[in-house]
Amino acid sequence: MDAQFLVSFALIVATFGLYIGIAIYNKAKVTSDFYVAGRGVPPVFNGMAIGADWMSAASFIGLAGTVMLLGYDGLAYIMGWTGGYLLLTFLFAPQLRKYGRYTVPEFIGDRYQSNTARLIAAIATIIISFTYSVGQLSGSGVVIGRLLEVNASVGTLIGVVLIAFYSAMGGMKGITWTQVAQYVVLIIAYLIPVIFMAMQLTNNPIPWISYGEIVNEMKAMDQELGITEYVIPFTENTKWQFLALMFTLMAGTAGLPHVIVRFYTVATMKAARWSGAWALLFIGLLYLSAPAYAAFSRFILMDRVAGSSIDNLPAWTRSWVDTGKLSVADKSGDGVLQWSEIVISNDIVVMATPEIANLGILVIGLMAAGAMAAALSTAGGLMIAISAALSHDIYYRSINPHASEKKRLLVGRWSIVIATVVAGLVALNPPGAITQIVAWAFALASGSFFPALLLGVWWKRANGPGVIAGMVVGLSVTLGYIFAAKYGGFTILGIIDTGAGIFGAIAGVVTNLVVSLATKSPSKQVQEEVIDLRYPEQMTYKDGEVWMDDSSHSS
Amino acid sequence: MKKIDKKVAENYFRARNTAIIIYLIIWFIVSYGVVLLAEPLSNISFMGMPLHYFMGAQGAIVVFIILLFVNAVVSDKIDQRFGIDDKMNETISAGKHLDH
Repeated sequence: MDAQFLVSFALIVATFGLYIGIAIYNKAKVTSDFYVAGRGVPPVFNGMAIGADWMSAASFIGLAGTVMLLGYDGLAYIMGWTGGYLLLTFLFAPQLRKYGRYTVPEFIGDRYQSNTARLIAAIATIIISFTYSVGQLSGSGVVIGRLLEVNASVGTLIGVVLIAFYSAMGGMKGITWTQVAQYVVLIIAYLIPVIFMAMQLTNNPIPWISYGEIVNEMKAMDQELGITEYVIPFTENTKWQFLALMFTLMAGTAGLPHVIVRFYTVATMKAARWSGAWALLFIGLLYLSAPAYAAFSRFILMDRVAGSSIDNLPAWTRSWVDTGKLSVADKSGDGVLQWSEIVISNDIVVMATPEIANLGILVIGLMAAGAMAAALSTAGGLMIAISAALSHDIYYRSINPHASEKKRLLVGRWSIVIATVVAGLVALNPPGAITQIVAWAFALASGSFFPALLLGVWWKRANGPGVIAGMVVGLSVTLGYIFAAKYGGFTILGIIDTGAGIFGAIAGVVTNLVVSLATKSPSKQVQEEVIDLRYPEQMTYKDGEVWMDDSSHSS
Repeated sequence: MKKIDKKVAENYFRARNTAIIIYLIIWFIVSYGVVLLAEPLSNISFMGMPLHYFMGAQGAIVVFIILLFVNAVVSDKIDQRFGIDDKMNETISAGKHLDH
């Protein structure tokens, strides 16, 4: 046991203790605590919770590496995963908040007056959140495993027990405040190394300003080596694939149930708008820094590692070569490591930075705690979404509408425990690359929830048969395209499986429009409820008139 | 409860929607627009990087954040202009949703 192990271990244990303490203090007592945190979360803190919910182990560990390996083409992820918050905040969040339900499937079921639609939405929520959480749990397994020097599967199991405990106990209320703490841990852990790296490489502590000159220097180095330049667009895929992927990530963001439900936890439509703004500011801190990490790491590899004698590589390379994430074979046998002989996995760019920049054991430990915070917070939010779909939308609304409050809390808690354990078992042996599974979850959300919410909020004529057909067709087209593109070699305009969401979203919207128009229009009450969403809480649309509640003045 | 003139309500809805349409046009230009024109824009240099790269890595995200805060402030202003009281919204909202 060396000093590094003890420091990292102490930091992880301290942060875990903090999360569990917060969950115990905020234990859910009634169902509105459990599903929507009592609807009293202040917008700034909700913004942090959304940030932690949103930024997964993949964002924390893998995003910078993806940008480094793909160059400009990797920026589709940066713009896609931030731009979706505009669709969400402008088009859905305040309206869904005014409608005032517990879950997204519940909104769809009540707005479209259809139990079938609610069940389809609940099942879609479970499938999307489940695939997404498998990635989080196996990610946390890798981090815990490396840190405690145990097998990654044991690491996964430790993560599972922890998440199941604190999310079952606190429900949404506990998770919200845990996520606030997790956001603070993860953003500090992400920013410290990149700031130090900026100081070392450019003498300017503000990486966002200073990495431009590094990008510029790399351009010259690329030209000298005669390799494809870092900043040249569309080298990996076509321009249309870039656009389709960006759209899929944006529409998927706006349609992910575990993110939308966070907007139910605030008090008003106004608070929902401010939550969206704070959320993207907090998320932007990480997303603006990822390309800086990418540029600095690529520069160091080109400038300090490539070209040095194979026997005289920097010390940090050895430990990462041992993990199999970095390969520095001298294939040409000339005793010098060439740039083309370096093969690097996108997962190590962020995690190796403290060692590359020589930042000492405290920062390395902090990085591990930050990566854990990212994985745990996202997994916690996903588990609440799955549990709400099972215990509220399926059990309470369909199977046993007379269940007592106590019984429903119990069912909610057990569904979290069971969902976490099942996801953990799948995560022990994940089916394929994590980033790809995550991209598919976004494609599915943009094919199912995005059209259903868009038309449900903005078009009063959309009805039950329309949304059922729309969700089924949207999901089928998305899945069909993913399989056709991945296994059948079928592509349109060079758009591959990760861009499938654009076809699903278009098919879902068109089907909903056509089927709704071909069938009976919704009841007058439903149509009035949709028009009512145009106005703030104080204004109500009823019987063809708008009413203003000014009771405070008269009483 | 007092009835409001249809026109006033219509104006509220229109004011909010016009703002959102403007934001979404800007959103589209800084992300999709820049990607569509990536090749010509790569000849312009900004903060040491080609402009298309800068927009993808930083410019678009900063614009997104600004748009969300502008939306929050402008919406509050519109609410104020129509005499909406946020304290009232909170009270009304607390009694209205389906907490079951």
